[in-house]
Amino acid sequence: MATSGLARPLGLTRGAAALAGLAAAAIALLALPYVAPYFVIFVATEILIMGLFATSFNLLFGFTGLLSFGHAAYFGTGAYIAALLLRDLQPDFVWVLLAAGLGAGLLAFVIGALCVRLNEVYFAMLTLAFGMMVYVVFHQWRSMTGGTDGVAGFPITALGFGVHGQLGNPVHYYYLVLVVVAASLFALYRITVSPFGLILRAMRENTERVAFAGVPVYRYRLYAFVLAGAFAGLAGALFSPFNRIAVPEMVHWTQSAEPVLMAILGGASYFFGPLFGAAVFLTLERWITSYTTEWMIYLGIILLLLVIFLPRGILGLFDRHKEDAP
Amino acid sequence: MRRLIKSVCSVVFAALLLPASAFGAEPIRIGAIYIMSGPFATYGQFARDGIELALEEINGQGGVLGRKLEYLIEDSAGKADVAIQAARKLVYQEKVDVLMGIDSSGVANGLTPVVPELQRPLLITHAATPDVTGKLCNKWVFRNSVNINQHMKAAALLAKDLGNKRWTTIGPDYAFGHQSWEFFQKYLKPMQSDVEFMEPMFPRFGSEDFTPFITRTISAKPDGVLISVWGGDLVNFVRQANNLGFFDQGFDVLFTLGGATEVLTALGDQMPEGIWVGTRYWFLAKDTPRNKKFVEAYHKRYGKYPSYNAQNAYSGVYTIKGAIEKAGTTDPAKIAAAMENLTVDAPTGTYTVRAEDHQALVDGYWGVTKADSSYPIRILDPVRVFPAKQITPPPAENGCKLAG
Amino acid sequence: MAAFIAALLNSLEFGLLLFLIASGLTIVFGVLGILNFAHGALYMLGAYFGYSVLHYVDLPFWAAVIVVPLAVAALAVVIERLTLRPIYGRHPTFGLLLTFALLLILDDAVRLIWGAGYHIVDPPSLLKGTVSILGAVYPRYGFFIIVAAVAIGVAIWLLFTRTRVGKTVRAAAIDRETAEALGINVTALFTLVFAFGAGLAALAGVLAAPIRAIGPSMGERIIIESFIVVVIGGLGSFPGALVGALILGAIHGFGGRWLPELNLILPFLGMAVVLLWRPQGLLGRSA
Repeated sequence: MATSGLARPLGLTRGAAALAGLAAAAIALLALPYVAPYFVIFVATEILIMGLFATSFNLLFGFTGLLSFGHAAYFGTGAYIAALLLRDLQPDFVWVLLAAGLGAGLLAFVIGALCVRLNEVYFAMLTLAFGMMVYVVFHQWRSMTGGTDGVAGFPITALGFGVHGQLGNPVHYYYLVLVVVAASLFALYRITVSPFGLILRAMRENTERVAFAGVPVYRYRLYAFVLAGAFAGLAGALFSPFNRIAVPEMVHWTQSAEPVLMAILGGASYFFGPLFGAAVFLTLERWITSYTTEWMIYLGIILLLLVIFLPRGILGLFDRHKEDAP
Repeated sequence: MRRLIKSVCSVVFAALLLPASAFGAEPIRIGAIYIMSGPFATYGQFARDGIELALEEINGQGGVLGRKLEYLIEDSAGKADVAIQAARKLVYQEKVDVLMGIDSSGVANGLTPVVPELQRPLLITHAATPDVTGKLCNKWVFRNSVNINQHMKAAALLAKDLGNKRWTTIGPDYAFGHQSWEFFQKYLKPMQSDVEFMEPMFPRFGSEDFTPFITRTISAKPDGVLISVWGGDLVNFVRQANNLGFFDQGFDVLFTLGGATEVLTALGDQMPEGIWVGTRYWFLAKDTPRNKKFVEAYHKRYGKYPSYNAQNAYSGVYTIKGAIEKAGTTDPAKIAAAMENLTVDAPTGTYTVRAEDHQALVDGYWGVTKADSSYPIRILDPVRVFPAKQITPPPAENGCKLAG
Repeated sequence: MAAFIAALLNSLEFGLLLFLIASGLTIVFGVLGILNFAHGALYMLGAYFGYSVLHYVDLPFWAAVIVVPLAVAALAVVIERLTLRPIYGRHPTFGLLLTFALLLILDDAVRLIWGAGYHIVDPPSLLKGTVSILGAVYPRYGFFIIVAAVAIGVAIWLLFTRTRVGKTVRAAAIDRETAEALGINVTALFTLVFAFGAGLAALAGVLAAPIRAIGPSMGERIIIESFIVVVIGGLGSFPGALVGALILGAIHGFGGRWLPELNLILPFLGMAVVLLWRPQGLLGRSA
């Protein structure tokens, strides 16, 4: 069977079918505002943003084997940087995104340098600790971040470089998000199939062997951590203008748990797993909450079943070429 | 191929989310957003009770413009981002005509700037932050309940009569707590020049343990303490304060929202007597036929006495009804325009919604807690009603600049 | 002076209650190798069951203290057999993820059954009121918690060091394979330990019910604090849980009064420092 470079990450076996699927998805996403009811645009925008957040997380989890329970620190930092810049300085939106990504990446560098030396549960706990420290700072620093009330009432500026469009309009914003997320996912994809990405995967399988081969393991982990943080920050910078507010909850560990759930749901060993997981998660949430407010219980049950029976996630159901290790 | 299936599935999911539209005589829909979970959940429940009673009465008399009036309710959980998402869902998915609600000042501050994009009027029936009818005001947002300016002006008048020299505060660490203290100082200082304001204390909103703040206050030996902790937090506070002898220290204690029936019900006998508590409506204060009828109907239907949140939501529905009838249409922009200068006959008294800042001129209430065997909760006796004109600052002071 | 006494008592009360909760967590990790994310939810269940038992069935408080932990332990047996057994031996992250799923389920189940608002339980009349010590006024129930927690802690320590069952559990924690080879039924032991940890958490929940607001987010708050305690004390170390909990208690009681700006960040800072400097915790064995 022919397996193209895209087949595995999509959980597929046939390269041509993968490309066709991707093309169909692209058309559907582009046409969405014209065929779907208005509120679906909001759902789709959120799915794309969270999909980017979850994919950035998965660079660490699915590819490098590091479970970070504090990834929201970078997402939230990006969200706040965007909100504060828009509130106080109103630069063009493209600079807002850039600043958020860089700011979050810088934070990830500082925290990551301390975290990557640890393994497994200890790594998870340390990222959790740092994540919550960032949360406390955002929560307590009322004069700068508005404390528990957050940062609101900021305008959304124009994109910049003379690009037309009113980003305050949900349809325009959706297209912006689509472009940014698609570009980011493409970049992340290229990273995962590059030699660097392959080394990350090797590190996930057996860190010692990779170290014996002369690879500076901690340094590579740090690179992955910074990249993951930067893209999470970018997602956050798309998120706060979308919601018109940045709140400390966006930095809280319960926000960190969402990309974890999405990655597991979709399948952490597939590149598009987290995006798919985000779509399933958010769609399920919308659907179930129209009947009952208690939807987490269903998510919990699904997650439980997945962890026990389908550790490879939903996309794993479709993959006929499972590797040995999860 | 799988990706295509995934896309198809997404579209199918989306189709499932389409609301089933009702054809025929279309009802008018109100979208309500209140806190329905957590330590403040009873406020949302009381609000819902008030709404349902109003709807029952209104629909029993033929509805509004001959159409049935309906409502949907969403939980804000006290979080602004949740409330914004709920508002979008109500407007775009459920297609409501009007929005009402909001318990938390933090949520109100977050939601108010978003309302103009939603193009629906929002009637705030609880959140008191001055900003929504002040520097954040816009043509779509209105309020029919007592705000911090009015409430703290009344508190200051009360404080002046008490004549204490050193005041401190314990308030929740968010907009409401900080702004309550800010305005209390602002109004009291000119009335009592020798007043001294001590270091304020702001425990986390939703805090469970107030013990450190209680003991610190006792040690600081103030003459008066203004406490703007409310809801479930206040219930925790009072229970812990009782245990630590807080109320036996000899200083005056003012609970700005201690007169809320939600709190009095939860505390029962544990609410000390002889404390000045504020509220936004007290069911026994007004002897008018309108109030008596409301209290009786509420008590008959629910077996308890209406809290201010219930009354505010109830009269909120009547305010919406009045605006729609005045506008003669359910065009949201026209409803919003009609709400200006609207006069409503409510249990708390007749009030008018001021055009300059969209704040209703409502009376403020403070009273002293007292046990009374004919009621299951502490009642307020004596009650001081502060007339709206006395406590509402002129619009020029607010910083509200409504575009013409 | 009075202020110091009050802060000290507050620290002890907070810390010792946290010790009860965290010790269950650390014992389960030590023996089963699973860091139970849902441990806080079990504590919360204890509080809710306690509320129901006191409110609806009208049992006296003392009866609730016995009945509720047993009930939650029974539930834990079911949970362990159905959900944890399949994943023993897998990568440690599975344990975290699975118990996180349990947390989601239990959190929402509590809302479905008891509603989204919150409830109040009064202390038993024998323990109401306050006591005066050296000028400080402190609730009687607070003293009760301190005394009860110490007594329970001592009992557990004796259980693990003096009894056969306790020694067997410790043996299995140190080396599962050898224990199995010696004929110990490790599978049953795991169930027992998990149920024990759950019962302990639930006991803490019942004891905490009169002084905490019983609401759906109880579990979330306490689990983070518990993680901090066991990390600082040492994952798997029972005395470590005591040390960690007392440290957190001190931060809460003294920090709340004298360092209000910093005291929210100190626990996480402490956790980070320990992980970076001595990952096995203050009293843990070297990994």
